[in-house]
Amino acid sequence: MSTRVLFLSLTLLAGCATSNIPPGTQVPAERLAAAVAPGTTKAELLATFGKTQAVVFDSGYEAWLYQSPAGNGRFAEFVILINPQGVVTKTRKGPVSAPKP
Amino acid sequence: MSYLLRCLLLASAAAVTAAAHAQDTPSDTSVATVKVTTTRDPVDKSYRKMIKGMERFEREHAYAPAAGLRFQLLPRTPDVKMEGITLRVAGDTLSAKVPVEPDNSFVLPRNEQLLREDAAVLANRKTTSMTWRAAIVTPGLPAGTRRLGDMRLECRVGVEAGLVSNSSPLFGWLSNALTGADEVCTSPNGNYLFFAERPLFAVRLRAGERSETLPFHFLYAGGLPREELPFCDCQVLLDRTYYVPLWDASWPDDTLVEFEYMTDVPEATP
Repeated sequence: MSTRVLFLSLTLLAGCATSNIPPGTQVPAERLAAAVAPGTTKAELLATFGKTQAVVFDSGYEAWLYQSPAGNGRFAEFVILINPQGVVTKTRKGPVSAPKP
Repeated sequence: MSYLLRCLLLASAAAVTAAAHAQDTPSDTSVATVKVTTTRDPVDKSYRKMIKGMERFEREHAYAPAAGLRFQLLPRTPDVKMEGITLRVAGDTLSAKVPVEPDNSFVLPRNEQLLREDAAVLANRKTTSMTWRAAIVTPGLPAGTRRLGDMRLECRVGVEAGLVSNSSPLFGWLSNALTGADEVCTSPNGNYLFFAERPLFAVRLRAGERSETLPFHFLYAGGLPREELPFCDCQVLLDRTYYVPLWDASWPDDTLVEFEYMTDVPEATP
């Protein structure tokens, strides 16, 4: 029993050390502004910019985060809201900050 | 709570769960058994602790001088029915019913006998089905906003009163042991979770001419991995969950916290 418990704990702790939340995929701000607007589909986003950090909710909505280089190693957030039908309904620019590791 | 601390708590909780299951296996015949006849449900709250939270509210009322204190019940699991909740404070010899408003908020009465009897605050719902928060709201704020000082005081009262409901007893115990109200509410790693009325798209702070949108990781419990959600009392409120920089003294108590919701009008619940 104790071996099993120890193994489970170590496995989870190992996961903690290696599974940081990935930062958003980096895309120049002008490309995002030109290509993403309400009505853009999730499939188009994936085809154009690829996967990125996303939070999927029980409601079917998804919030996606891309990051745009903003100089001096900093990045600006670009957040996209996708409805349960797979269509962008909102976008917003977020603050400029260093990316999460 | 920092990511590392969360991981440690998760690992510890999982180990305890695994140990508990392991003791049920037939091969562990040498393990002595103990019969537990009663146990306090994690949904139940300590009356004494909640009164301590109320006393803290009185001591630190300056954070929200125009606001009163209520407590509020929130859903913790998808299947919990949030209508018709009843609440009572139960001691050894005395029990008192607590009226619950339609928004599931309530005011806790003070009773010296119930305090002496170390009473529990009990709701008529299953284990871990709900979580609790303090609700301190200055009247007259614009729609879709909150006031930072109110939230600073909510955090202090909420932690003091032991309102956050984690699903694993050890998880909760470690949380309490490592994070008192003064740490949680004054540290960037405190991570006291708030819940908006509706699903959120953005949260902004505004104080005079200064305005800032909070980073993405301040929303949705910081992108908590789905496998950790059952341990978080934000489990079913993830899209309404956010942090605010309670610790940042450069934002005054009168700072307005403005919400942009996912939809302009509330969507009908199924």
